[in-house]
Amino acid sequence: MRRYVQTPGPIGEFSELALRQRAGPLDLVYVAYGMLVVAVVVASYLLGAFGWLPYDPQAMDVGLINAAPFTSGHALGTDFLGRDLQARLILGIQAYFLPGLLAITISVVGGSILGVLAGYRGGWFDTIITYFDNLLDSFPRLVLILLVIAAFKPDIYYVMVVVGVTGMPVIANLIAGKIAFLRQKSFIEAAHALGLPAHTVILKHILWLNCRALLVIQATLGMGEAILVETSLSYLGFGVQEPTPSWGNMVQAGANYFLQGNFWPSTAPALAILATILGFQLLGDGLNNVLEGKRRK
Amino acid sequence: MDAPLLAIDNLRTYFYSRAKRAFIRSVDGVSLGVTRGETLGIVGESGSGKSVTALSAAGLVTAGPGVISGSIHLHSNGVRRNLLDGLEKYARVTEQEGRVMAVEKDERGWRKHSETLMAGVRGKEIAMIFQNPRSALNPYSTIGKQLVETIRLHTNLKGESEARERAVHWLERVRIDSPRLRFDNFPFGMSGGMCQRAMIAMALSAEPSLLIADEPTTGLDATIQSRIVDLLAELKAETGITTLLISHDISVIQRLSDRIAVMYGGTVVETGRAAEVLAPEATMRHPYTAALLASIPSAETIRRKSYLQAIEGEVLDTIEVPRGCRFYGRCNRVTEAIRENCAGLEPPLGEVAPGHKVRCWLYPAAGKA
Repeated sequence: MRRYVQTPGPIGEFSELALRQRAGPLDLVYVAYGMLVVAVVVASYLLGAFGWLPYDPQAMDVGLINAAPFTSGHALGTDFLGRDLQARLILGIQAYFLPGLLAITISVVGGSILGVLAGYRGGWFDTIITYFDNLLDSFPRLVLILLVIAAFKPDIYYVMVVVGVTGMPVIANLIAGKIAFLRQKSFIEAAHALGLPAHTVILKHILWLNCRALLVIQATLGMGEAILVETSLSYLGFGVQEPTPSWGNMVQAGANYFLQGNFWPSTAPALAILATILGFQLLGDGLNNVLEGKRRK
Repeated sequence: MDAPLLAIDNLRTYFYSRAKRAFIRSVDGVSLGVTRGETLGIVGESGSGKSVTALSAAGLVTAGPGVISGSIHLHSNGVRRNLLDGLEKYARVTEQEGRVMAVEKDERGWRKHSETLMAGVRGKEIAMIFQNPRSALNPYSTIGKQLVETIRLHTNLKGESEARERAVHWLERVRIDSPRLRFDNFPFGMSGGMCQRAMIAMALSAEPSLLIADEPTTGLDATIQSRIVDLLAELKAETGITTLLISHDISVIQRLSDRIAVMYGGTVVETGRAAEVLAPEATMRHPYTAALLASIPSAETIRRKSYLQAIEGEVLDTIEVPRGCRFYGRCNRVTEAIRENCAGLEPPLGEVAPGHKVRCWLYPAAGKA
């Protein structure tokens, strides 16, 4: 005799969540590429931090100025002072890694707190946060950063604090919007009625279970943002100061020799910036689709 | 008869309309008692204040000014406590000729104090289920996890595996098929009825003294509604849990309630044993109850293709509460003899039969009260 058993699968209506499309293979490619970039960045950071570099990044070789790639063991060539580009490129990550994490931490933590206050408490908190948001929006970020640099000193950490603070309203808005959406569903109220303490509701049920994908995505996008800001500052000469390498000041320094045909000193860091920012953007995008599901068109 | 499990006395919960600069008198002097083991059904149209009464009892009113006066006594496990104890010092109510003219409320202080009073009560002693069960569950967590969370919070089963067993047991008790498999389902993978069953399991798993069911069948399909009503009736028979049932659906109320309170415009207009209040031959009933009952389409009206009996007019706007009877404007039983009273003086809740009270000038008992 045979037995036929039905496994209980989903039945009934589909919610908005279930209606979202599964992520496609392209999203997985995005995520894989993004992960690779993250791995390379972390590895480079560790190499730089422990000083395991192919060459001394500060050693100048006046005989080998602006050498082309693959000349006498310099895989990426040398810059205008004959310093090894590969080593400087790897060391350049130091300028972004911890400062970038600082910016992300500030914007994610601060944004979450403001978002919860605006969405959960509402009332005048909401009003104040909206004003704060408008204030930051109406003020060019670069000008704000230059102001801070002028007031203190051109330190990348000061810059990143500004990047973090100016990144807060975006996250606060997203979280407040999410909470407003969740409020329409009554589960926050139901959780209170079941006697769950407010901190459990906010931290676990709102931020962890419902906003974690959003926060991860914002964090990855924030890293790309941090690199971009440093690059533009370096181009103006306010970023990381020579002789400490950063990708931004490497591009800037190399640009003087670009038209003379020595394109590699600025092309190598420019490509690194491109590949890295692209990696973080695609990671954010791909994670969004993988974790949240694509919105069906 | 011992002391009621829940005794709400002269509760007033007001809201404020900024646009009209006036109070919305959502619950305006409601007194109710729920005896241990009974189901009290509160019925009324939308806006009659029935849900706000329940939310007030659970301390869940968030909009201002909210609860401004009254007392809510909970008598469970040998402890009698006033859930609004000492809160009057946070609210100063200025009245003029029986009308609230101003309320000054320290809402932060009130909320803080209220939270300490409600600690160990909400969820543990008073559990609540809501309408639209799908949205009352966290969409990003499995029902099993959510159930385990409440069990570990409210019972002494702190271990993960014990709580899990208890959770499965509760899923079984609310008649969910293959509870072990359902345990790992997300709310969107389940039907509305299923979600409501899971919600009921979550509410009951803390073994509360009182279950407040706020429109438990609203938002569900008609057939599922009747299943949920059956489930509530069965659980009631099994556990004997005291229930405060709120619904605008008089047939749901009829099937589950032992006693009924009919609310209109923020007040209780009639209360009594379900059988008496809803008895078809009853004559001593409030005109509003009569109108509500008449509006239920029967097989007879459908066969005769006659019109549904709607209640004329609109639900009372609780911002502009008239001086007299709140139902006066829609009442079709006003007689010349009592018109003056109806228009000018709010009738008291008078006892027309033992345990059966009606707030209407039609009945001489009202005059005496």
